[in-house]
Amino acid sequence: MRSPISLLRGDSGAGRSADDEPSVRADGGTVAESGSEDGPIESARSRISDSEFVRSMPFWVPAGLLTALFVYGAIGWNFLISLTDWSGLGDPNYGSLDLGNYGEFFAEAWSGDWLFGFVPIPVNGPQEYWALRNTIVLLVLFTVVALIVGLLLAILVDRNIRFENTFRTIYLLPMSLSFVVTALFWSWMYNPTSGMINEVLQMVGLGGLTMQWISDPQTKLFAVIFALIWQFSGYCMVVYLAGLRAIPTDQYEAAKVDGANLLKMYWRVIVPQLRASTVSAAVVLMVFALKAFDFLYVMFGTRPGQSADILAMMMYRESFGVTNWAYGSTIAMILFALALGIVAPYLYYEYQRGEL
Amino acid sequence: MSDTNRLLSRRNVLRATGAATVGMLAGCNGGDGDDEDELEIVHWWTAGGEQDAIEALIDGFEEEYPDVPVSNNPAPGGAGSALDTEIQSRVLNENPPSTFQIWPGKAMDTYTESDVLADIGDSVWDSEMEDAYLDGVKELAKDDDGNYVAVPLNIHRLNNLFYNVEVLESAGIDPSELSSPADLLDAMETIASDTDATPMAHQTQAPWSTIQLWENVLIGMEGVDTYLDVLDGNVSANETAVRDALQMVADYSEYFNEDAGSVAWDQANTGVIQGNAAFLHQGDWAAGQYKSAEDFEFESDWNYVPFPGTAEVYHVVTDSFVMPEPNPSPDATEQWLSYCGSVAGQEAFNPIKGSIPPRTDVPDDEFGPFLTAQREDFNNSTAQPPSIAHGTGVTPEVKSNVEGVFSTFNGDWNIGPAYNGLTDAFDV
Repeated sequence: MRSPISLLRGDSGAGRSADDEPSVRADGGTVAESGSEDGPIESARSRISDSEFVRSMPFWVPAGLLTALFVYGAIGWNFLISLTDWSGLGDPNYGSLDLGNYGEFFAEAWSGDWLFGFVPIPVNGPQEYWALRNTIVLLVLFTVVALIVGLLLAILVDRNIRFENTFRTIYLLPMSLSFVVTALFWSWMYNPTSGMINEVLQMVGLGGLTMQWISDPQTKLFAVIFALIWQFSGYCMVVYLAGLRAIPTDQYEAAKVDGANLLKMYWRVIVPQLRASTVSAAVVLMVFALKAFDFLYVMFGTRPGQSADILAMMMYRESFGVTNWAYGSTIAMILFALALGIVAPYLYYEYQRGEL
Repeated sequence: MSDTNRLLSRRNVLRATGAATVGMLAGCNGGDGDDEDELEIVHWWTAGGEQDAIEALIDGFEEEYPDVPVSNNPAPGGAGSALDTEIQSRVLNENPPSTFQIWPGKAMDTYTESDVLADIGDSVWDSEMEDAYLDGVKELAKDDDGNYVAVPLNIHRLNNLFYNVEVLESAGIDPSELSSPADLLDAMETIASDTDATPMAHQTQAPWSTIQLWENVLIGMEGVDTYLDVLDGNVSANETAVRDALQMVADYSEYFNEDAGSVAWDQANTGVIQGNAAFLHQGDWAAGQYKSAEDFEFESDWNYVPFPGTAEVYHVVTDSFVMPEPNPSPDATEQWLSYCGSVAGQEAFNPIKGSIPPRTDVPDDEFGPFLTAQREDFNNSTAQPPSIAHGTGVTPEVKSNVEGVFSTFNGDWNIGPAYNGLTDAFDV
């Protein structure tokens, strides 16, 4: 099925096919007859009603309308609210719209310490700064590491190992669990006195490395990122595995014949061909990273502390904690812009490759 | 011929899909076919004992008012996190329930500012009821203009220091001699050096437990008046007091259980039950956990003292019901609120909930030895201040800001930023 975009874009195309059809139908005689009797108006009408655009309408209009209303309509309304000063339980005042909330957010966020943006030193920045900073750190670190781990797993699983299916299932399993389950599970793992992580560290003689993983502000965010990587690297593995399987075996053989060692073969020949897999996995991961709300909410409630606060969490607090609806909507729009900033280049890239 | 047919059918398809779409949209407005006079009660009491308590209250109400149909509609979620969301969106849609649970005092600010809560001074708060409540609690039931808008149903005490009797005996500490927060610090030092037990069971996963500890340390060190002045937003005027209290809490944190940041308060409390921890600072809901623990008896195994330095204070955590407007069932709601404010209602609810009734004239018979002792303290208390951590003392916005400050303080115990954060937190 063609997408609505190409249907709109291809207006001339649709017109062309409408032109084509009567000529085909002229063999049947019906159309030619009515055309000659009722003049140009009737033929225009039949041209419109016969066009691919009109005839496809029953298939996409209902779904399109519902999506327009409940998705794009809601986004639009949310944007409108973010321009007001709505708070409390009264009605929003749509009379005075301005970008004040966005100005406030970025002024606050910029007032933090961005020079050392990636070093979690306990400075006293506003919550906007911490939420934005942590969201970006989470987004980048989680995506990059999950991709690398997923790629390594995929290469290992692809090396014709025994019990390949079993391993694949084991690696993919965490992804099928809900954030609620994994967050609880990891809060037990990270428990400093009885948790697995510290127990294992002590068992192998690394007792000095034990930490208060999810209460120490230095490690909090990284503990969360590590757990998320555990959960999603299996997904990356599956995407990469599909990519690896699509590469013809000749190329492995050719590389071997040319004397490339294993590392060189993967680095020079195989990995560069996995670009499409990387891009599509990265997009999914980044969108998940923006939605890490559930995980943090189960682990810490609505107050993870500034070292692990993210925009989604702050949005929830502003809206439903203190009824600052307009400011909450502003944060929602900023999150939306971030997500769009990730998805749009991907869509454009796919579009250019003609895969859309 | 065939063409006409196709055209017709196409039109029909369009019509049908259009109609279906309209139907689906119309469906969004349906589904509100509720009984007009039904009393819908929204609350967050869904855990074991709490649920039994609200059911006992509703049963009692139904006995007294048999012709009022009751719809019990719990919104689970600790401390009303889900309830707020539901009530707020229903108020915005002008479709509020008959009554809902809320912390009284400043926590109602969001609602009173928008004039959502009805003045029930004439209809519910008769002079008989007014006489039975203490002043501190009555103040909480009023909005900023001094009109009654809520009926407090139960009271939990926040300034308790629970302890494991055996652990304290082995360390040679008599808790009744602790008269200030500094004494408690010394006692914990002794416990740490003389026993294997953790001196204080605590949780720092969520900020509220540390906030309430700081509140009690502040009262214990500087007195109720200073505390109330801070609640009014005068943080910098009391800089030394606030900083000293923060420092004391930071000193305490040396003696918390090591996994404080990864556990909930009741998980930490199992340490006290098992004899691995000495003290617990917590509201008296913690007693419910001791009660349900096996072979763990009041006075012989566990006991409590008022938090050192706050003996004459009854730090109040209370829940109440209110009457939102426009109300779907005004008469039934007033009957419900009157019942919540009656001796019968509070006697049915509180013993099961593990809280004391705000009315001072409810007979003691149903309350166990612990709650009876608490009631005596309550009736003799000289002050009943509200709380930050439990919403009654500050507006939701200030509460949220303070939580933000303590969510960081909980991990780094850094006085300077916490103090600066608090001055900003009250400045809204």
